[in-house]
Amino acid sequence: MTPAPAVAVRIGARALTRRYGALVANDAIDLSVAPGTIHSIVGGNGAGKSTLMRILQGVDFPDAGTVVLNDEPVRLSGPADAFARGVGMVHQEFMLAPPLSLLENLILAREPVGAAGLIDWRKAEEEAGNLAALAGAAIDWRLKAADAPIHVRQILEILRLLYRGADVLILDEPTAVLAPAQIVELLKLMGKLRDEGRTILFISHKLDEVMKCSDAITVMRAGRVVARTTASDTNVDALARAMVGDHAPALLIESRERPSGTPLFSARALAARDPLGFERLGPVDLDIRAGEIVGVAAVGGNGQDELVACAAGILAPAAGSIRLGGEDLAGASTARFRAAGVGYVSADRAHEGLCLTASLADNFIAGRERDTAFSRLGFLRPANIRAAAARGLAGLSVRYGSVDDPASSLSGGNQQRLAIARELSRAPRLLVVSQPTRGVDIAGTAFIHNLIADFRDRGGAVLLVSESLDELLALSDRILCLFNGRISGELSRSEAGVETVGRLMLGRRAAA
Amino acid sequence: MIDAFLHAAIVMTTPILLAAIGGLVNRIGGIVNIGLESMMLGGALIAVMVSAQTGSAGLAILAALVTGAVLGLLMSLVITRLSANEIIVGLGFSVATAGLVRFFLKSVYGVSGTYNPAGVAMLPPIDIPALHAAPVLGAIVSGQDALTWLAWALVPATAFALRRTRWGLRLRATGAAEATVRAVGLAPLTIRDASTVFAGALAGLAGAHLSIGVVGLFNEGISGGRGFIALAAFYFGRSSPWRTALGALLFGGFDAAQIRLQGHWIPAELLQALPYAIVIAVLTGLGLADRRAERSGRMG
Repeated sequence: MTPAPAVAVRIGARALTRRYGALVANDAIDLSVAPGTIHSIVGGNGAGKSTLMRILQGVDFPDAGTVVLNDEPVRLSGPADAFARGVGMVHQEFMLAPPLSLLENLILAREPVGAAGLIDWRKAEEEAGNLAALAGAAIDWRLKAADAPIHVRQILEILRLLYRGADVLILDEPTAVLAPAQIVELLKLMGKLRDEGRTILFISHKLDEVMKCSDAITVMRAGRVVARTTASDTNVDALARAMVGDHAPALLIESRERPSGTPLFSARALAARDPLGFERLGPVDLDIRAGEIVGVAAVGGNGQDELVACAAGILAPAAGSIRLGGEDLAGASTARFRAAGVGYVSADRAHEGLCLTASLADNFIAGRERDTAFSRLGFLRPANIRAAAARGLAGLSVRYGSVDDPASSLSGGNQQRLAIARELSRAPRLLVVSQPTRGVDIAGTAFIHNLIADFRDRGGAVLLVSESLDELLALSDRILCLFNGRISGELSRSEAGVETVGRLMLGRRAAA
Repeated sequence: MIDAFLHAAIVMTTPILLAAIGGLVNRIGGIVNIGLESMMLGGALIAVMVSAQTGSAGLAILAALVTGAVLGLLMSLVITRLSANEIIVGLGFSVATAGLVRFFLKSVYGVSGTYNPAGVAMLPPIDIPALHAAPVLGAIVSGQDALTWLAWALVPATAFALRRTRWGLRLRATGAAEATVRAVGLAPLTIRDASTVFAGALAGLAGAHLSIGVVGLFNEGISGGRGFIALAAFYFGRSSPWRTALGALLFGGFDAAQIRLQGHWIPAELLQALPYAIVIAVLTGLGLADRRAERSGRMG
């Protein structure tokens, strides 16, 4: 490993500014990361963290100011240049070639070559084995990247940086996709790499993780650095205040008594298969009344995805019935589900929730383009569409340049606000919501929770699936636990606690 | 009768196979090469010209290879550097080259359609005396020219290179995940250009095989859509050189069959359409199979 160099700043920035049109994504950022430390960059969605990291990695370039490496200002010509200087990054979207094996992905661009210019697979496997041992991970190197579990892909990305000799690792929200146990493993690995002399930039908005692993912490908000501190000098509350500014939002949503009357949504003996044809869900019975949020708690792969897809009308059930307000929707098209009053917020906002290449305005009215407000005689009315989108976005407190910008110009959390607002603007009767705040910061989460609770208070029915127990406990009036595709328990909000729900999710009985 | 047919089938497979291997490599690198036809046509013309001028089949082959490679590079640069649509550019190259060739023949040689100079050196057939008399096998392997041998040698060579060399690995990565390749510090567009140059060079050789390997003259219709049939062959082959070769053999076989069936009671024009009809049938079948696979893999 590289000996700790005698520099004060291994990587950083000096008065670094980056603008995108009218938006100042990074405003005169000063950053100093000491060698051999874990330095966390925290901030809400749209705070400018990802832009800064892209610049540090040479993928994007500053309009003013410079990147600093080993105390010297440098101008990076590209990611290859950054790599040559020991700086590597694990992106939020993984940079792996899906049809290639994990081993092939590891050695890509740095293939060990033996006689006759052929790839020396034995040497590659040997080095891969050493790296896996270092990470304390068992990796099946022959697996295609597309088939590898997500935490393995994550570890591979980190190992690839090590394989290529990087001593500065930029990790952009690496824990967003991991389960709690895997997060612990990752933080442990980060500590180990730090102790061996490497420098780690850890981007996150999960403050408890930041507190656990950081040597130094820099807080960003709206493109600026608003605080510099260390884990020992601060706490989660202070960080949260710095992140969101002065008005820290209240997170608790009031629960409601279970409304009476006939259920709005009703499924009977519902069963569904996954794409491979495996029975994943059911049979389950499920009722949701108007003015009620029903949360579904389950460990990934226990049928919750299929339940969401069936309720949203995207997946045809293998068996059973679905009724909405008395209307029989068995075998109905997605269009009929939506016409009957089903709104759907997908967990996959990049593919199902939004069209990222289309404009904010087009995304905002998608599905309502036939309304007379937005089209007449088959022709769109762009002025009305843009005005409606501008009004809608104003109510979401979203930072954006113009309604003609592509949806991809929004940060992840703001994209989610847009996706939910779009569905609510159709005035649905049932809102099917999957992972509404995955990768969304504290302020965004509170905002989205309020949107959902507000919809409930106006008489809407909500089916909520989330991997975050905190979210389920904060929002749901009733919580169903799914295990092996069946309902393993049902709790009211007042009965539900993390432990009880956790037990039911694993198929055990609730404590008496 | 069967010997003559088998021999012809191999001969007709060669240009399709050469272009298809090139197109396969190109596609693995991320470009579907619709312009193979133009590179084939260019190679065919240059091969006849150089062969007649120099009397050397070897030089003619080299010239055809370079011509195809240059056309491939031009097409690739338009696609990768100017972000043009590969389908439009490929079709444009095919149409434009056909027009330019006709114009060139007219203005330089004063002929329309066919250029048949004296002294064209043909590709010599390679006879294998030990096998020549053997039934079936003799007809298949003996008396084929060097380009046919090259085409079949490229099948295992390509499969091997894709799996075992770093260029193969980088090419596969480029086609699958351009952003990844850029992120690890490689130049995906350059890799992609190289694969198109390779495809162009092989399509140029395919053209040379048609003009100085089979007929000994140039005709503006000599490629006869074989560049597009090659496209069908590597689609049929997905990412496998062996399956691609099978596809090329299938289409080459029907090409030979249509020639042999001519002169019987079926109209020649209808017979000539046979290989193309087979292409449509095969691609339709593949498309339906894909759709079925997609539907059963569909998820909410």
